[in-house]
Amino acid sequence: MTVETCDDSALMALIKEGSQIAMKQLVERYKKRAYHLALGMVGNKDEAFDISQEAFIRVYKSAGRFDPAQRFFPWFYSIIANLCSDCHKRRKKWDSRQIDIDENDFLMITEVNPENIAVKKEMARGLRKAIMKLDFSDREIIMLKHFRNLSYEEISALLKIPKGTVMSRLYYARHKLAGILNEYV
Amino acid sequence: MCEEKYKIRLSGYIDDELSTDERRDFEAHLTGCTECRKELDSFRKLKEVTGAMKYADIPEQVWEGYWADIYRRLERGLGWVFISIGVIVILSFGCFHLLNDFFLNPDEPVLLKIGIGFGIIGVIILFVSLIRERLFASKRDRYDEVER
Repeated sequence: MTVETCDDSALMALIKEGSQIAMKQLVERYKKRAYHLALGMVGNKDEAFDISQEAFIRVYKSAGRFDPAQRFFPWFYSIIANLCSDCHKRRKKWDSRQIDIDENDFLMITEVNPENIAVKKEMARGLRKAIMKLDFSDREIIMLKHFRNLSYEEISALLKIPKGTVMSRLYYARHKLAGILNEYV
Repeated sequence: MCEEKYKIRLSGYIDDELSTDERRDFEAHLTGCTECRKELDSFRKLKEVTGAMKYADIPEQVWEGYWADIYRRLERGLGWVFISIGVIVILSFGCFHLLNDFFLNPDEPVLLKIGIGFGIIGVIILFVSLIRERLFASKRDRYDEVER
């Protein structure tokens, strides 16, 4: 068995023993996902990059406390979410200057039809502003469902909440987002 | 006023996460509830808009340096701790020597010596941490090597 074929728990066991190769493999496996998760929650490219790297450093330092019976990704996600939450608290209120001016740095339009592109750009701009006006927990659930396209079961496992709570949190987050979005579009 | 349980089920309905019975019950409710139908439209539009977007990625060259950055941070952490302690000890020793006469003078109040001693060590610790912060803050632009 090579490091590339090891599952996450096996990698964590190797990292616990100090294996840099295993750590590198874990980083390669999850770096983009970590970055995108952080980006969805903090809305700033540089902050998201730093948070994702800091999350891996915390994984390395707390490898000894990782329970091999649990799945790696929900544990890793909680580290990222806590770092993003700390970042949010430090800022106290979301200053629009902290948000990437160029919407392409945060959210990108996948629309290819040129007739629709102008409308979609305006919508994207409004959506970005609206998302950043949400509370951290609302933004988190919107990000996980709308942009990571996770099922309720996956979100439930990640956030350690019942499926019913996922549904209600999503409802309230969408309700607020739709309301805020109306102000911009 | 619509019951809360139906409002919440709006999300489950639009995400196809309701059970067959819940779906049937909700659809029956929907036929008679303008409020829910209006909100359902609003949520569908939201899904349409977010569905046309994704998070922008960053250039591949930046990803190539990602692991190296982490490795450096892991390796240098301990090194910096020792360097900082070393510098603090050396500077404190130096200051103590410069103020030898003051600290060894039995006529000077002990409390004053302790106060000045702590003050000097505090200033040295702040100075060292500021230097470290400036060194780490002046990171090069991670997009330096990306061809434009």
